[in-house]
Amino acid sequence: MSDKFETNRRTALKFLGTGAAVLAVPYIIRPRPAWADNGVLNVTTYDKFLPQEFVEKFQKDTGIEVRIRLTDDQGKQYNLLTAEGANPSTDIVTVAGHRYTQFINSKLLQPLDTGKISNWKNLNTAYQDAPWARVDGNLWGLPILAGYEGLARNVDYVKDAPSWEIMFDPQYKGQTSYIVSDFMTIVMQYLGHDGDFVTYVDKPDIAQKATNEARDFLIKNKDMVRKYYDAGSEVQQMFINEDIYLAHSWSGPAAKLIMDGHPIQLSVPKEGTFGFCYTLNVVNNAPNAENAYKLLDAILASPEVGAAMTRQSGYSSTMNGVGDLLDEREKLASTLPQEEVDRIIFFSSVNRDMKNEMIDRATAEVKAA
Amino acid sequence: MADSNRIAGYSAARAAPAPRYSTGMAKIVNSAIYRHTLGAVVETRIGRVILLAGVPLIWLVMLHVGPIYQMLKISLLSHYPIQPGVESHYTLDNYAIFFRESLYFTPLLKSFVFATAATAVTLLVVYPVAYYVAKIVKPEGRTKALLLLLVPFWAGELIRTFSVIMLLANRGGLNVLLREVGIIDRPIPMLYTSFSLGFGLVYLICLYMLLPLYSAIEKIPTQYLDAAADLGAGPFTRFRRIILPLSKDGIVSGCSLVFLTCIGVFATPMLLGGPNTVLFPETISGFFHGASDKWPVGAAFALIMLVTALITAAIFMRLVGGKKRNAF
Repeated sequence: MSDKFETNRRTALKFLGTGAAVLAVPYIIRPRPAWADNGVLNVTTYDKFLPQEFVEKFQKDTGIEVRIRLTDDQGKQYNLLTAEGANPSTDIVTVAGHRYTQFINSKLLQPLDTGKISNWKNLNTAYQDAPWARVDGNLWGLPILAGYEGLARNVDYVKDAPSWEIMFDPQYKGQTSYIVSDFMTIVMQYLGHDGDFVTYVDKPDIAQKATNEARDFLIKNKDMVRKYYDAGSEVQQMFINEDIYLAHSWSGPAAKLIMDGHPIQLSVPKEGTFGFCYTLNVVNNAPNAENAYKLLDAILASPEVGAAMTRQSGYSSTMNGVGDLLDEREKLASTLPQEEVDRIIFFSSVNRDMKNEMIDRATAEVKAA
Repeated sequence: MADSNRIAGYSAARAAPAPRYSTGMAKIVNSAIYRHTLGAVVETRIGRVILLAGVPLIWLVMLHVGPIYQMLKISLLSHYPIQPGVESHYTLDNYAIFFRESLYFTPLLKSFVFATAATAVTLLVVYPVAYYVAKIVKPEGRTKALLLLLVPFWAGELIRTFSVIMLLANRGGLNVLLREVGIIDRPIPMLYTSFSLGFGLVYLICLYMLLPLYSAIEKIPTQYLDAAADLGAGPFTRFRRIILPLSKDGIVSGCSLVFLTCIGVFATPMLLGGPNTVLFPETISGFFHGASDKWPVGAAFALIMLVTALITAAIFMRLVGGKKRNAF
């Protein structure tokens, strides 16, 4: 039997047909493009931010199909949105307040028209016109959840933690965890520097020196760390498995563990920490902007939605009346003593470029060390 | 049929009265549209070859060359994504950063060390398994044995990675078992270490070693082993002089596949590794996901990793694989 491959008309056609079919599969199975359909709304947000029951009710009431694309990082959203340019494939993104200027300067968001949100009054007054929320005279997003960077600990093993110093206590060697870039700002505060870089405008040398000091401190104490994590679910998993007893954590994931009955406590140590607020923002050139406003209005329609958001994500709701709907454990998880609340400073959007540049590099150096 | 088509050609077929075929293919071939369009191309041998080569070429370009070209293009830009008011130009600076900053060399080196170690361990672990299935298991049971080995790979990479987490965590299956039988009283920290990363990698990639090895070993004629035994060769000699040389192609293929997969694997080191096991793909991802916009640097580093990995694999294949020659 000859092993030479003979081509004839029939085999050529069969191969051509099969090949064309294979190449066409992605086109056939892909969803219809969002920008070609008025009956959809594309939302890029964090996992568990939008309650499923709410989304289903919204879809039923309006006939608008909500397509949720999950994200776990502000940088990812920013880069993808920038790459898509004037033809974005998403209508709503979830921006943290301190990243506003980056998105706004790149013309990725459109100013929020609160006149289109009839339930705007249901937003807590503290958030209706917060200083960080207004840039260039405009409001840019609907605040939905607020949080802070806290010290989480397993109370079965760590009874008290008044200072961030406990993260470097040899007693807990190999039992701590943090996101390097986020914890770097905390360590800068702990070492007496400005972790938010607000006072370092036009002072790159001082900023670099402070960053290097924090970097070297983290490298020196690298043996304290069990794992550098990236997503909230990771730190939750490590606490549940008792792989760690202490962590620098966003308040949401830690509060969720408390709500679920795990022996976790969340606190703001005496050196202080940073707070942030997540907002839903309508994207510039959003293909379904009107649908986006309908969703924002529906979110504010009932405190039940805000309560469900808090239960799911662990973050505090920005809506009026939510506190009355939470049970004792949920309130406990999302409430701090007043003296600890006073230690929270909201991240500023000042001098972000310098901060991002220096912190990103220092993060790579810590990981590579 | 193929010969008659090739010799008689389309012209002859067109001159003759159209046969009454009942198949769909024949209906297409005899249609007027086909006769005046595709038929004319398929008529010639060159046309058929172009058609046959066209589909795989499009596939290769779209799914393999295209993305790499796009990555190459981004790696040469000063800014990407292009932002309003920012001009981008072509530059080699993004590549220069790697050679200028020693801190980026360490993760790349770690990646190569881990990949090499994981490849060696995978070969040692999987070779006896492949040999057992290919030579010890009866021919009628081999398909079932292979199927059993492949079952875990029906689950995705992430699911299998999480299963390793559930196994090795402080409150995971292994620590619980050891505590229950009284071997330990405190959990052994196995997760987020070099051990957990190595264990996870070997578990995740062993399929790439198993199949080439099985294929190579299964083809070794049993008579060779019988003859060697008759001539007094012991088990180790038979392995060293017959099985190992004849399975060399499988070893080279398996090792190359596993090594290249290990170099580029991303999620597993992120989830299973500890603070001292940060590998190069994680460093690269930092450029794409970090607060600063460094896509071009990330793209340049990705290409550096790709090129160095391919060169390493090529050298390995050349050194170990050598030129094709008879085993005896």
